[in-house]
Amino acid sequence: MEPLLKVENIKKVYGKLSAAYTALENVSFDIHEGEFVGIMGPSGAGKSTLLNLLATIDSPTEGKIYMKNKSIHDMKEAALSDFRREHLGFIFQDYNLLDSLTVKENILLPLAIAKIPAKKINHLVTQISKVFGIEDLLAKYPYQISGGQKQRTAAARALVTEPALILADEPTGALDSKSATDLLESLSSLNENNNSTIMMVTHDAFAASFCRRIIFIKDGSFSTEIYRRDQTRKAFFQEILDVHAAIGGEVDDVI
Amino acid sequence: MTLFSLARKNIARNFSQYFLYIASMVFSIIIYFTFVTLKYSNTIAEQTASSQKLGSLMSGAAVILIFFVFIFIAYSNSFFMKKRKKEVALYALLGVRNRQIGFMLFFENLLLGLFSLIVGIVLGFLCSKGFMTILIHLMGYDVVAPFTFSAVAAMNTVIVFLVIFLVTSFQGYRLIYQFKLIDLFHASKKGEVAPKPSMIVAVLGVLLIVMGYWLAMQDLFTSKVWEKIGFPMTVLIILTTVILGTFLLFHSVTGFVLAMIKKNERWLWKGLHVITISQLLYRIRGNARTLTVIAVLSATTVTAGGAVYGLYYNTNDSAKTINPNTFMYQSTDAEMDKQVSAVVSDTKYDKNIEALSITFHTKELNSPSTFDSSDKREYTVIDEKTYNQLASLQHKEKLDVKDSYAVILDIGYDKRFSPIYTGKTITTGNGHPLTFQSFKTQSVLNVGTAGITVVVSDDQYKAMQNDGKALHYRVLGIDDASVDLSQKIENQLPEEALFSSGPQDYQTSLEGVGSLLFIGSFLGLVFLAATGSIIYFKVLTEAEEDKSQYNMLHKMGVSAKEMRKSIASQVFVIFVVPLVVGLLHSVVALKAFSSLLMMDLAKPVLLWMIAYTVIYGLYYFLTVASYNRIITLNNKTEG
Repeated sequence: MEPLLKVENIKKVYGKLSAAYTALENVSFDIHEGEFVGIMGPSGAGKSTLLNLLATIDSPTEGKIYMKNKSIHDMKEAALSDFRREHLGFIFQDYNLLDSLTVKENILLPLAIAKIPAKKINHLVTQISKVFGIEDLLAKYPYQISGGQKQRTAAARALVTEPALILADEPTGALDSKSATDLLESLSSLNENNNSTIMMVTHDAFAASFCRRIIFIKDGSFSTEIYRRDQTRKAFFQEILDVHAAIGGEVDDVI
Repeated sequence: MTLFSLARKNIARNFSQYFLYIASMVFSIIIYFTFVTLKYSNTIAEQTASSQKLGSLMSGAAVILIFFVFIFIAYSNSFFMKKRKKEVALYALLGVRNRQIGFMLFFENLLLGLFSLIVGIVLGFLCSKGFMTILIHLMGYDVVAPFTFSAVAAMNTVIVFLVIFLVTSFQGYRLIYQFKLIDLFHASKKGEVAPKPSMIVAVLGVLLIVMGYWLAMQDLFTSKVWEKIGFPMTVLIILTTVILGTFLLFHSVTGFVLAMIKKNERWLWKGLHVITISQLLYRIRGNARTLTVIAVLSATTVTAGGAVYGLYYNTNDSAKTINPNTFMYQSTDAEMDKQVSAVVSDTKYDKNIEALSITFHTKELNSPSTFDSSDKREYTVIDEKTYNQLASLQHKEKLDVKDSYAVILDIGYDKRFSPIYTGKTITTGNGHPLTFQSFKTQSVLNVGTAGITVVVSDDQYKAMQNDGKALHYRVLGIDDASVDLSQKIENQLPEEALFSSGPQDYQTSLEGVGSLLFIGSFLGLVFLAATGSIIYFKVLTEAEEDKSQYNMLHKMGVSAKEMRKSIASQVFVIFVVPLVVGLLHSVVALKAFSSLLMMDLAKPVLLWMIAYTVIYGLYYFLTVASYNRIITLNNKTEG
């Protein structure tokens, strides 16, 4: 099967000449449809840089990223916009909700942008808000709800268009463990039931244990990867901790 | 629901942010529209004889206004756009095309502009009557300002502002193209690079300012430096050194002072002092440019306003000095006097006085510095008795003149150009010598009729009867005489009577200075409002950036009161430092100006400065209140 996402030998250098700093080098991997992939690594390993590249908000110094066989960084601006709209969904650590729109309006924003008819929008929003358990909050404003609820709103917004790939940057970073578990379970069930492809950057082993596969990067390059297969989440969690310790991540950083 | 309806909703709910932006645009439009309405107004044009001069004065001021309004709107626009970077980035990330976002911002801005234009013109129309009344009052007319809508003024305003809005809207359109997406997202996370204070730069800054001050304090007419470099060049040098010095001052000197304070750990580590000082250190150096702009704007406003207000304030005095008597003329026949008496009633005094017009040999008065170096001068001579009589009517000191001595009354006396009178001797054509025992810068006769007057003793006067032409003057003292009365008297008199009138002179100088004062205060008001708004916007941008810090402090258990105190003192420094520097600059400039004009401007200038500081202070309180509101609101929502 053709991979959904193909990352080939990418390199990212910040700054120039003497002040240059290589954030990523020689990173390659594939992601297939329906996968739930976690990207892990110590602080400063280049996780967020990698995600920014995949999100097309930054471009690599060298190498190419293909999605559905198209090199995403060679697209023209207009095509790129269409591509983001049609194929990508984003969840950020700091939510990035518009404070002046209600929860419902925030969720339907990408649908409005894609010019979906109002009737269908209503249906889609109701459906996704049930998945994330926020159907009672739709009329509220972001400042009236908790952090966990905000993140579920952001996740609903990312998923409402049923994008081919969902990119999540430390989605549980600002959440308490209950809210984090709720969010991760929702994502996990979407992955299993709807075959959504999710890629999540995290430094939290607990969050990572919900994934089906973990890619470890260290000092800007690919380190190793592990699959959950049919292990229990608890066993996988233990394995993640072990690998993380083995590649030199501090344990404090993980838990 | 479309993107545009969502964007519209966003505007409606973010109204407080938009409100500031709209308000600053509306304000600019009101000011400009009122101003052009006045410019095109018939009432004003008809009333002023000096209309041509006033017209060109107004056109000049209008150009300055346009320039200023443009900068101001561009500034608030960029502030407003900065706040929306994140929203724009989110749209881009959700797949809206750049061109679409650009157009959205472009039209949104244009719509806001059109809306402000309508509101501004309507409000401006209402305001222009008020302003017109003020102007007419200042110029001393008793006309009621008519309530007319000027279509020409409206057209002019619409065209000027449409151009401005097109330019700023284009700025908005370009926002999305100017930045990389990743920068838009992390716009607020980027730190400012604070320049390092350097001792040399600090000293250089102070030296530059001192040099500018020193140059400005030199006497324009006697200074070697001014003579050598030339007038326009010197002015340019003063401006450059002072502005550059101010910038370096903010750039380095304030940094030094704060760094010094930072060393005092006993004080610094008490409560929030550490936050206050560190924040200031971080901000003030990165903001040297804005602070310089504010200081220079304040200095310009206070100087221009103070100078113009000083002139206005002194108008009455100078009309009184020139015309110690309300009216005066040279009487040639009794018929003339009768006609005048028919018009005049209610005089405080009405005297006929005798005088002599004598041409003196005045060689001794000449010196290299005097402007007038002719050998003969014509003076009006009166005796001591006449002088003392008039002096008591005008509440002036009496004189005692010795025989063969004289006192000269020269109101135009200036020690730089006038002869050194005391001790010098002049002689009449018949060989009567007179030695000046002293001089006075006040006269008892109207200068317009009598010119420079010499007072001699009664006996001396008799002895000089045949040395010159005998003259008959009539002097009238009338309380609250009107220009109309002055006009009526003038109609009865021939040109040769050399009629001089206090009310008429006062009116003429008021017309000139009154319109100057109006334009000066008008521009001053605009500059002041803009200066205040620039700091306001700036401080609030910082508040947005700092709110998470204050949230952290809140979580650490810092009380709201302590935070308010820290905020108030931070904002205080940002407000006060440029104000003090600006006031200092204007004190020097006005000192130079007042010694140039030989006028005492202390009182009007002080009044003007106080007025400026009070309004500026209001901005301070407004800013602190808004800052606190942002922080408190954030603390509440973030918990």
